[in-house]
Amino acid sequence: MFEFFIFILLPLLASIFCYFVKNLRIQYSASLAVSIFHLALALSVFLGYYHTNLPFFFSVDSLSKLFLLILSNVYFWVVLVSYSYLQRPVTFKARNGIQYYFLLLNFYLTANSAAMLSDHFGMYWVAAEATTLSVAPLIYFYRNEEALEAMWKYLFLVSVGIAFAFIGILFLTLSAKGSLLEGKQLFFWEFIRNAKGLNPIWLKASFIFIFVGLSTKIGIAPMHSGDIDATSNAPSPIAALMSGSLRLTSLMGVLRILQIIRPTSSYEFAKIILIIGGLLSLFVAFVFMFKVNNYKRMLAYSSVEHLGLITLGVGVGGLAFIGAMYHAIYNSITKLVLFLTAGNIHSRFKSREVSSVSSVLTFMPVTGWLFLLTFFAISGIPPFGIFFSEIKIFEGLLFSDKPILVFAVMFFLLFIFINMGKIIFAMLYKKGENDKPETGTEKFEFIHLAVILLLILLTAIAVTSPDIIYQNIINITKDFGMNL
Amino acid sequence: MENVLSIFFCLSLFYVAITSRVRGFVTVLRVQGILLSVIIVIPFIYHFSIFGIILPATLLAVKVFLIPRYINKIILDLDIKRTIEPTIQQFTFLLLVITTMVVIFVVSNILAQSTDLNVIPFASGFSAIVIGIYIIMFRKKLIVHVAGFLILENGIFLFGTAVASELPMMIELGILLDVFVVVFLMGIAINNISTTLRGFDVTALGRLKD
Repeated sequence: MFEFFIFILLPLLASIFCYFVKNLRIQYSASLAVSIFHLALALSVFLGYYHTNLPFFFSVDSLSKLFLLILSNVYFWVVLVSYSYLQRPVTFKARNGIQYYFLLLNFYLTANSAAMLSDHFGMYWVAAEATTLSVAPLIYFYRNEEALEAMWKYLFLVSVGIAFAFIGILFLTLSAKGSLLEGKQLFFWEFIRNAKGLNPIWLKASFIFIFVGLSTKIGIAPMHSGDIDATSNAPSPIAALMSGSLRLTSLMGVLRILQIIRPTSSYEFAKIILIIGGLLSLFVAFVFMFKVNNYKRMLAYSSVEHLGLITLGVGVGGLAFIGAMYHAIYNSITKLVLFLTAGNIHSRFKSREVSSVSSVLTFMPVTGWLFLLTFFAISGIPPFGIFFSEIKIFEGLLFSDKPILVFAVMFFLLFIFINMGKIIFAMLYKKGENDKPETGTEKFEFIHLAVILLLILLTAIAVTSPDIIYQNIINITKDFGMNL
Repeated sequence: MENVLSIFFCLSLFYVAITSRVRGFVTVLRVQGILLSVIIVIPFIYHFSIFGIILPATLLAVKVFLIPRYINKIILDLDIKRTIEPTIQQFTFLLLVITTMVVIFVVSNILAQSTDLNVIPFASGFSAIVIGIYIIMFRKKLIVHVAGFLILENGIFLFGTAVASELPMMIELGILLDVFVVVFLMGIAINNISTTLRGFDVTALGRLKD
């Protein structure tokens, strides 16, 4: 019960607390304390120091352990930098939203933890929908026209998407007719155990609906548009939260249905759908990187690219699956760093247009160098983590039954790298027409320190490659019944 | 009994296809809410339990009173014009709805031969899902989109009763709460869209693209 309290009830109580206490500093302290408790317990559970015994509809397995830790880590850093982020000047209208910031953030943690720990499809659905509800008002933080449009599109598209996922869940019930599972509750583990008796036609339909529906939240093409608008118009910490953890919460739903489908004859079908989804996302990122002129949207497309890569890895299975799990870890930290540095640039230049940003290295040397380093990290340059996970995915693709995929992926990634590089180097080095002669006197802020620590963490995990992470990922592949 | 109510549910979908008034949608939502509440209350007539009545009562409160009232309030507060501004004409839309329903009923009948399912509620629910999507696609006003989304949700609910999936009550209540909050947030968004972007329809939303 203790873990249920820390993971789900405590953030909920903190959320209620933030409703009544209007002092921002107290809200921040309470939220930070909650995030520390959450992270400490998630880490203890992951390391095996704490054995969980969650009540009704909730339980822990290797997959939820890993994803919960990723969520907890991303959330902790986001809360940590939020106070200094909120001190920045905003419009009069936006100031109104600050009082709800921590309330919604805590509710976000409750909903996401509940979704990740749920072992019942119904519970997962309710929690996943609640994550949308918590994040939608945060997208509207700046209270401007673009943010409003982004919030509406995200809320509407994702709500319809989640409704589709629910149809998928009902199809899953139908697939159980005439099997041992008929009339039983929709527990994941029960379906996984008795998957062979499920009706393949309804199971395939269920997979399609759940995958397409949740794609709106994961940001997999062609359902990515709402997610792109939301990520690019939300405040940077929220964008980091969405890219680093919310997308994984939704991916979890797809992984659960894949786990059920895995021992059945419909697995090949599911694999093909996942591979198409992954490749299409890479293709969309590849095309839009040529024409994107807003650097936040560029980062959002980068999220589509990386989630596409993870989906592809999951679809191919084997080594690529292991790579995909590592990629989920590294991508979450890298996206956190990218969005936080991009947020610094946005605060200084007051624009998201690439053409309005110039000489970042001159005006903001610390942010500029960190932004450059993170660009290297996201592009898969060693020693940053993404390099290692991408190598693993490539290896998996090469030794799979579809080795041709590796060339397509490399082609897309190469051009994405070139186009992203062009944009980022223009921002960092290009001299603007209105540049004033003043040079770099950027103050070293708390966010810079957080970014440096995160980059160190990213490199440390990649270089030392802790055995516990590897073991956990191997356990996940075992749960999925994969032979390596 | 469930079949008869499902057919009434289908009739409400025909009304949705031909009405040109925004208020017409609110009435349909109310009617559908009542039909769904009656459908889930039927089993309790024979085995009455206080505990079992909570879900139908909440459903009735949310889908018949709270949500339609809230939508009406938005229409009044914002003084939204009472016509729906379709992108295709009512008659064409009706033909589309009829064709879709015929196809869904025929396909469901074929599917029912291999799987044990209750054809009429199944097909009615699925029709409502598709028609909800049509409304979102072929109508301009954002408030009508919200109504379309709710018709889709009602369809899913009916569809759920047809496949006899019994979710625990706590989860059913969670689903209802989620839907209510979604509509509430959408209402706030429409309110802001009308003041900030000065429009009630999708043409007001065109700023974000590459």
